[in-house]
Amino acid sequence: MVSGDLLVEARRRAGISQAELGRRSGVPPSLIGRYERYEVIPSLERLRSLLRAAGYELSIRLANVDPSNHDQVLIERELRLTPAERLRRGLMAGRQFGALTARPRRVRA
Amino acid sequence: MSEPDPLKILGALERHRVRFVLIGAAAARIAGAPVVTEDVDVTPATDKANLERLAAALKQLRARLRSPSDRSGVPFPLDVDMLRTADLWTLTTSAGDLDICFTPSGTRGYRDLRREALRTRVGPGISVSVASLRDVIRSKEAAGRDKDLAQLPLLRRTLEQIRERKT
Repeated sequence: MVSGDLLVEARRRAGISQAELGRRSGVPPSLIGRYERYEVIPSLERLRSLLRAAGYELSIRLANVDPSNHDQVLIERELRLTPAERLRRGLMAGRQFGALTARPRRVRA
Repeated sequence: MSEPDPLKILGALERHRVRFVLIGAAAARIAGAPVVTEDVDVTPATDKANLERLAAALKQLRARLRSPSDRSGVPFPLDVDMLRTADLWTLTTSAGDLDICFTPSGTRGYRDLRREALRTRVGPGISVSVASLRDVIRSKEAAGRDKDLAQLPLLRRTLEQIRERKT
């Protein structure tokens, strides 16, 4: 989740409007709206202070990079499909997965 | 039960003009997250007229309560009063499993999810309202079950990649 989504999420969880967050943080509500719509990307420090004004701490940690970019490749492949194709493939995979994990039937000798 | 076909479930709900938002893994998959889904989860509107339409659709789908001890499910009265007695219904139908959740974790239900939901064509002649990936993530974060938490990194990565493609 990235900056704009984090701001929306924090505001929603706190149950406050852009105006209220603006009042608490001293940042103009119009600018908060532009952050949330990704028209402007806030600095990390600005993002942290906005989240704090909403009552949340931004937690960041270092994680190892997946050198194969496996997830990224899979996601890119999905994003090239239509929504209907994505759902159809997801359901097909689910069926295959279900068949693999189903309890084996007892077979009479 | 015949071969599971969740699109038949969605088609039946649409034909009965049930107002609902598709949520969960199916919604995440439609957004582009490479997750597996075996059933459909929906959040319907809770007004009486909509619950009547939902009950009618469920009757047509021959919905029963899912039961670990009886694969064909347990019959129950399909009417508005009964649907109002629980927030979560885990059902089996003639077209596969269907979960109905009126207030998914971390959300305030249909009206909340509808704000960011997108009308999306999900199959031949079937268009439904699909919850935003952001709302799916919000709900899974709040639910906090192991299976939800396990999916979160992939869902967040998908959201980031969608953002990156737009900028």
